[in-house]
Amino acid sequence: MTALFELPDELAIDTTIARTVIGEFIRGQLRQAGFENALIGLSGGIDSAVVAFLVAEAIGAERLLTVLMPYRTSSPASRSDAETVVARLGCASELVDISPMVDAYFGTDPDASSVRRGNFMARQRMAVLYDRSVTWGGLVVGTGNKTESLIGYTTLFGDSACAFNPIGDLYKSQVRQLAEALGVPEAIIRKAPSADLWPGQTDEAEADMSYPVLDRLLFWRVDKRRSVDEVVALGFDRALVERVDRMIAGSEFKRQVPPIAKLGPRTAGVDYLYPRRRPGSARG
Amino acid sequence: MQALKIALAQIAPRLGLFDENLARHHEIIKEARDKGAGLVVFPELGLTGYLLQDLAADVAIRVDDPRLAGLADATKDLSVIVSFVEESGDHRLFIAAALLEDGRIVHVHRKLFLPTYGLFDERRFFAAGDLLRAVPSRLGAGIGLAVCEDFWHLAVPQVLALDGAQILINVSSSPGRDLAATNEVGLGTATSWRLLMRTYAQLTTSFAVFCNRVGVDESISFWGGSEVIAPSGETIFSAPFFEEGLFTVDINLADIRRERVGLPLLRDERPELHVRELRRIVAERAGLAHDSTADDLAEPGLDVAPGDPVANPIGFRSGRR
Repeated sequence: MTALFELPDELAIDTTIARTVIGEFIRGQLRQAGFENALIGLSGGIDSAVVAFLVAEAIGAERLLTVLMPYRTSSPASRSDAETVVARLGCASELVDISPMVDAYFGTDPDASSVRRGNFMARQRMAVLYDRSVTWGGLVVGTGNKTESLIGYTTLFGDSACAFNPIGDLYKSQVRQLAEALGVPEAIIRKAPSADLWPGQTDEAEADMSYPVLDRLLFWRVDKRRSVDEVVALGFDRALVERVDRMIAGSEFKRQVPPIAKLGPRTAGVDYLYPRRRPGSARG
Repeated sequence: MQALKIALAQIAPRLGLFDENLARHHEIIKEARDKGAGLVVFPELGLTGYLLQDLAADVAIRVDDPRLAGLADATKDLSVIVSFVEESGDHRLFIAAALLEDGRIVHVHRKLFLPTYGLFDERRFFAAGDLLRAVPSRLGAGIGLAVCEDFWHLAVPQVLALDGAQILINVSSSPGRDLAATNEVGLGTATSWRLLMRTYAQLTTSFAVFCNRVGVDESISFWGGSEVIAPSGETIFSAPFFEEGLFTVDINLADIRRERVGLPLLRDERPELHVRELRRIVAERAGLAHDSTADDLAEPGLDVAPGDPVANPIGFRSGRR
């Protein structure tokens, strides 16, 4: 039997411990905020599928709402994969077609680039999710992984927007490992990751690098603090290393809260520092 | 008259861009030389920017770094103070300021006090220095070099003066804050620094030079306002707030002698008294000696007994003994 995916040795994790920690994390985040329910945007891809499985495992599928938000050009396979996840978990699910909202906006601007369209779709999905968080009475759970966050392959205030993120410190290869352990359908684990913004798009073709290579590079460069020369000595292509370095540095702003101009004696995020959940902060 | 022209490089370093800042230093040193300066002062972490966080290790240099030697090479017949992240042989990172003169690194001061409160988080990223020394200089006056927070600790300027400093130099990356119009100069930070520098100049009868950066790192804006204060406590020059520039100030080193003869405070200092009393306080704080001035019920090492702070205001209680 061929392996479901390629897992670099140094990225292997103990999925049992990961599930234990993440389960506690999900329950703790909800408890501290005074919520019992959670919701996620389900794309049909591996990341949101894994988060759906993790949330269902942590709090029960009956407290999870999955929202499918296809655009008219989205792949039908994505939708059917998402529906497989819903059927497997037995969780609530809603279908919100974002085509009319997106088309209404770009109707007067038919030449808008695919980047603008993709970003707008991601933010439209965010807006729908946060609206549904009110009707469902739950917190929006993030589904972005560490690989895409570090290289900045996310839309600011779009797919990266969430109340908390259980898999944001796991590389794509590690998410795959977790997916296998959780019993996510094989087809979802096997297929090429894609933002599904246009037919045939894949992450790896767009970035011109494979996830196992990128994950390993990020692991040695970021987690293990290896210098450029040191990772080149490990066998990575220097041009690739330098390109990824630029992607990391260039997307620093996407991983942080915007700075506030320091003027007064105490400033949020600078010298007014509290845990985001503290006594009195839970929803009454 | 022992004339000296001081050049205050009130610059806005680029965060994490060492080589760019280095090139700017070379330009400014040349410009200051052309203006006839004998002493050029750059602000704290002028070669790296301030809010480095994890970038600190990336921009750190050893004192034998050729780029620092290159700066020293530019100091023939000149005294220049620059500041950078220094990595020691055992890989500790210090916020350092160096006095460069006539091609040599004459002195390196490692920041002694690392603020880790309010908006500051320096202790997380840096090691604290352990040495405080005044050094003689080619200017014919002793230099007492310190970095920013060092001067929020009263003993630092005093030790430097007792050790022979006649020009106290503080290089800073002071973030402007507390924008209350009720402050003397509209900015709480600036009001405090002006008060401190004038006080130190007066009490040590030394020139006090303050060089603070401008520019923005993330949320915080540095306010500039670099100053030169005479040994009498009189402000000779105040640079504008928030404005980048190379400001030159003419001083007369003969003012040191005049002030010290007329107001011999340094002559009358009693360092042996400090040492005696400090030694006593250290022993009492460690619980190794009886503290005869503590509250009766105070635990060893504490001056004040537990109790209701309203009924018994903090401090030495009346009615004891």
